[in-house]
Amino acid sequence: MNSKQRVMAAINHQEPDRMPCFGANCMATYEQMEKVQAFWPKGHEDGETMARLALASYTILGFDAVRVPFCQTFEARALGVKIKPGKLPGNMEGIPGIDHPPLYKLDDTPVFPSDFLSLGHIPELLKAVSIVKKEVGDEVPVIAGIIGPFTLAGSLIDTVPLLKATFKAPDKLRPWLKLGEKAGTALAKALIDAGADIICCEDMTASPELIAPKTYKELELEFQTRQFDAISVPTILHICGKVDSIAEWMAQTGANIISLDTKSNPRDIREKCGPDLILLGGVDVATTLFLHGPEEIKQEAEKSIADGIQILAPGCAVGPGTPTENLLTMLQVAMEH
Amino acid sequence: MDKAQYMKMAAQYIVDADEDEIEKLAHAYLDEGFDPVEMIEQGLSEGIRRLGDLFDRGEVFLPQLIIASEAMTKGVNILEQALPKDQIGKKRARVVLGTIEGDVHDIGKGILVTMLRVYGFEVIDLGRDVPIATFVEKAKEHKADVVGSSALMTTTMVGQKALEKALKDAGLRENLTTMVGGAATTARWGAKIGATFWAETAGDTVIKLKEIFS
Repeated sequence: MNSKQRVMAAINHQEPDRMPCFGANCMATYEQMEKVQAFWPKGHEDGETMARLALASYTILGFDAVRVPFCQTFEARALGVKIKPGKLPGNMEGIPGIDHPPLYKLDDTPVFPSDFLSLGHIPELLKAVSIVKKEVGDEVPVIAGIIGPFTLAGSLIDTVPLLKATFKAPDKLRPWLKLGEKAGTALAKALIDAGADIICCEDMTASPELIAPKTYKELELEFQTRQFDAISVPTILHICGKVDSIAEWMAQTGANIISLDTKSNPRDIREKCGPDLILLGGVDVATTLFLHGPEEIKQEAEKSIADGIQILAPGCAVGPGTPTENLLTMLQVAMEH
Repeated sequence: MDKAQYMKMAAQYIVDADEDEIEKLAHAYLDEGFDPVEMIEQGLSEGIRRLGDLFDRGEVFLPQLIIASEAMTKGVNILEQALPKDQIGKKRARVVLGTIEGDVHDIGKGILVTMLRVYGFEVIDLGRDVPIATFVEKAKEHKADVVGSSALMTTTMVGQKALEKALKDAGLRENLTTMVGGAATTARWGAKIGATFWAETAGDTVIKLKEIFS
């Protein structure tokens, strides 16, 4: 089986030849950048460089998917949000983020530009997808990322006002979630047209570590479901942190795969969500993959697989300083299953 | 209403994250001529402690904690204005706090700032997205006893390591307590980079700092 057949077999509940291994979030590292000579910040904003770096997860690591983009700012930038460059201490390059002050206040009326898909760096992202697709064809699945309604709403009005509104005036958030859903869905459709095989929706701010589970159920579920309904290819939903308390509703959104942080408990989630949902995850990015070595990685990966993980993956975006050796160790474990 | 009732209500309004009621209650309490310090220490603080427990048990969530901590600040400000200057009291220690450059938000740090102030620490809040050089500069300028940093992402936690080194290079580290926290960090990380201590939550930080500056 090639990587695409393997991943699609897993998604379709057929038996893959071995367990697939890839990340739902950013998999790029400094070592991969060196090897393929494609660096940040150019890799965030130039389609050709982005494509070259994305391919490294297949050509250098041998993972079962390639993925663009590497940050969470494409929709926000196109909607007019101020973005700050990904500068890190020690002059290292990181991922761009949302800057201040926020574009809107809670009581404003959100605006969706009619030429959304031609704004910001979106054209370069679409270009990257078509280049990557041309390179890998049907050998490796191309994952393209969008941002979930709740997180995008937070990018527009800022996270603290968003969180406060969930407690004080949840109904005021609906227009923002509606806009967030619309932007993500429009981008997803364009990414699919450009060649994406799988859409991954990252919705960090919808985590129970930030909002009450009840807020997810009463506000976000509706918009996330609408989004996945409109997407024609297989989907991944990634929410950071321990999501056990909302997993049941995450499964109801219609996402094929749920990408889990290692804080979540796959056994509990399987019990709540039944056999249809595919669970992706397995190894913690901040400590195990970034700081530890092969022994700890093997142990953690094996435990996660025993707990019901079906696609072995980093639990979130890989830290860019993560050693290649550690990522290869994780792949090795998948190859033994 | 007697004093005990005021304390009970203050605690409850904090738990309910009801800013408006806290304000009204603080004014009414002062009108009765009661001691402002008592309400901070026995009413508001009790409320935030109970709310912290509920949060740790997963019974209330971050948005309520944010609003409650803002309500607390409002209440403390009203009550403190009623104190004569010389009664504001000696601070336990001076703490410089910030979120490492590149991080997305500083919600957790904001809650910590409130709690530290309530427990008698002087806090110089550098806000979010703080360059390493600023931490060092402000620690020197304010003659800080403690420097605390929060990192939320794997990409920014390396900044905490750089901060330890920068404080050493500036000759400040020896006389400082350094503390690290934030979603991306662990006890192991704190020990590895040589921070004085790592803390998981705002409550945990206050407990550890109070031990050091008792």
